[in-house]
Amino acid sequence: MFMRRAGRAGWTVAMFATMLMLGAGPVLPQGGPAPGRTPAEMVATYNTLADAILAVKNTETNIVKTILSATYAHARVELERARKAIKGGDAKASETALENLAADVAEMGTEGDNAVGAVRKRLLEGGHHHHADGEAKGIYDEGYVVVTRVAKQAFLDAAKAIGQMAHAPKAEALESAWTKVDTTWAGLLKENG
Amino acid sequence: MACARRAAPPGAVSPAERAPRAAGSSAAAGARFRFVDVAAEAGVTRVTWAGRPGKDHLLDSAGTGVAFLDYDGDGRLDLYVVNGWRLDGSRIVERGRNALYHGLPGGRFEDVTERAGVGGDGVWGAGVAVADYDADGRPDILVTGFGRNLLYRNRGDGTFEEVAARLGIESPGWNTGAAFFDADGDGDLDLYVASYIDCTLEDVPQAKPILDWKGLEKVAAGPFGFKGAPDHFFRSEGGARFTDATREAGLEDTALGFGFAVRAGDFDGDGDPDLYVANDSDPNYLYRNEGDGTFREVGVWSGCALDANGAAQASMGIAAGDMNGDGLLDLVVTNFSQDFSTLYRGLGQGLFEDASEETGVGPITYLPMSWGVAFADFDNDGDLDLVIANGHIYPQIDRHPEIAGTFRQKNLLLENRDGRFYDVTARAGPGFEALESSRGLAVGDFDNDGDLDIAFTNLDAPPTLLRNDSPGGSWIEIDCRLPGGGANPIGTTVTIRSGGRVQRRDIASGDSYLSSHDPRPHFGLGAARRVDSIDVRWPDGGHTFRSDVAAGQIVTIVKGS
Repeated sequence: MFMRRAGRAGWTVAMFATMLMLGAGPVLPQGGPAPGRTPAEMVATYNTLADAILAVKNTETNIVKTILSATYAHARVELERARKAIKGGDAKASETALENLAADVAEMGTEGDNAVGAVRKRLLEGGHHHHADGEAKGIYDEGYVVVTRVAKQAFLDAAKAIGQMAHAPKAEALESAWTKVDTTWAGLLKENG
Repeated sequence: MACARRAAPPGAVSPAERAPRAAGSSAAAGARFRFVDVAAEAGVTRVTWAGRPGKDHLLDSAGTGVAFLDYDGDGRLDLYVVNGWRLDGSRIVERGRNALYHGLPGGRFEDVTERAGVGGDGVWGAGVAVADYDADGRPDILVTGFGRNLLYRNRGDGTFEEVAARLGIESPGWNTGAAFFDADGDGDLDLYVASYIDCTLEDVPQAKPILDWKGLEKVAAGPFGFKGAPDHFFRSEGGARFTDATREAGLEDTALGFGFAVRAGDFDGDGDPDLYVANDSDPNYLYRNEGDGTFREVGVWSGCALDANGAAQASMGIAAGDMNGDGLLDLVVTNFSQDFSTLYRGLGQGLFEDASEETGVGPITYLPMSWGVAFADFDNDGDLDLVIANGHIYPQIDRHPEIAGTFRQKNLLLENRDGRFYDVTARAGPGFEALESSRGLAVGDFDNDGDLDIAFTNLDAPPTLLRNDSPGGSWIEIDCRLPGGGANPIGTTVTIRSGGRVQRRDIASGDSYLSSHDPRPHFGLGAARRVDSIDVRWPDGGHTFRSDVAAGQIVTIVKGS
């Protein structure tokens, strides 16, 4: 029962208008259209617009993947720090690394930090749902682009498990939690090319 | 105030199915709790206005807070009630006046608003937090509001002066929950103020109910579709001035969450105050104090930003307390109708887990729309019960009560039995039978009889003041004092041992939904007649101890004594 303003139509119209303003739009056909048929130039322009719309959607996927990849890469750094600190018995260093790792994994679950969440909220407020169909089927949370609900829960569970280790680090438990993160991440990469 | 996200939970039960108290327990049905609304006879009668009857804008339905305080130091609680405006379409009918009720002997109150000069200065009020921000020994009153905040400095002669602009905390915008706390450990009280949505007073009268509700009604739009407004953190410079140090302190509201309630407390047990912020429809924040005046937002991985399903909820109010006697603070966050209020059980080290289902809090709270909330021992049996203020935001739902109940709803009383909560509302006396659209909630022993009473604000109605007439167990209340005369300093923690049980309370300013509770820690003792030990941990880390103290009294403990 989400009550959000419908804005998808407005968004598309705005893009179309923008293209017209930029000079990429059609001119009136000189000979006029055949009766009952859309002028070919309009269809061509619409196709161009479709390319742009689809490209924008792909770009959105790519930027989110990039955000997640950067977070994952940072998580790996923290993982190595945690491993080293646990091995060396450095409680303070392992606590810091494990908390940072937990934060990174949590951010993978929420598909970015709070600032990214604000962008996602703005898009939703504008009526943009990257996976409208997937949301309806319960596969994605609202506005999520790459991280499925199942993956989100896996990341969040792992983040909490890692966070709980911060004050009582255990190498085996860390590896177990990280394996879940790695597997989930690999699955998302596979699903999203 | 966003709409619900979850389908009916598998464990949801009807009121009739809720578990009765175990046979053989000390509580015979109907006898354990009894609350009576004494607001009218006590003289607490001023209506709190809330915009238009149709609630066309969210401001019309957000409601206001309430606080128990002792502004004149006479040992009796006073009551402060924040007010909104009354609109008719786009016309302002009345700018509601806040009310300060002076507590009198015999449980009565006298309206001293005009004499005290705390009527709200024409601001559409929201919340209230009480604290002695300038350390002069007298409690001051912060009123958050739509447009600006007010800070009433207590002059000590029964009057107040408004100093928010002078001190730099007016903060234009829709300010909501607030909490005073010593964020940087320098001995003065800093201030966090949450904000809801970015809109102007001009937007409010023009708002129309345009949002489709289940294909049946048009209701007020939002919060989706509106931009969130940023929260603010004001660092105190010795109580003489406040500086906006939001970014510097790491408290930047980067999600632009729709902020409502704020509660400071030592959630990770490391001795300094952390901060929890309830956001409507966005993940809640847990700002962990790093011990150097900066904070780190750790809500998601620490387990108290989202529900068990990983979803952000439409959060309104906060209660913090040790509900299962393990020495750790637990949290309850109230949420929208047809969604659980969530109980986050403290695991230690600032970690939490969603225990709403197993504690019973989730199923009981599924249907109503909930706001103010408090952990308190209402039957004086030694554990913390829960009280929750309810009321929907859309009056239009009254035409379809079978779907989500009604606009006016009963408030809830949940009894704690060994860490599981049971709905005892129907057996809690006439005070819990009333239907209102309640918002603010504060708990305090206004008649000093050793049991905790409850004040609610209600939309477009006078407050409810529930006197606790329950035949409860023994009790003790602690009045913590500084040598200079300051009472119940924010951030103080009191731990007692009695009857083989350890109980803990902390003193906070800013709690529940836009409200502040009685600052005197209250403990139910069951059958115990004495308290083995009392440990007062002061905000500076010092301790004062007492041992073998008789129950049934308000004990004053002065720091250093």
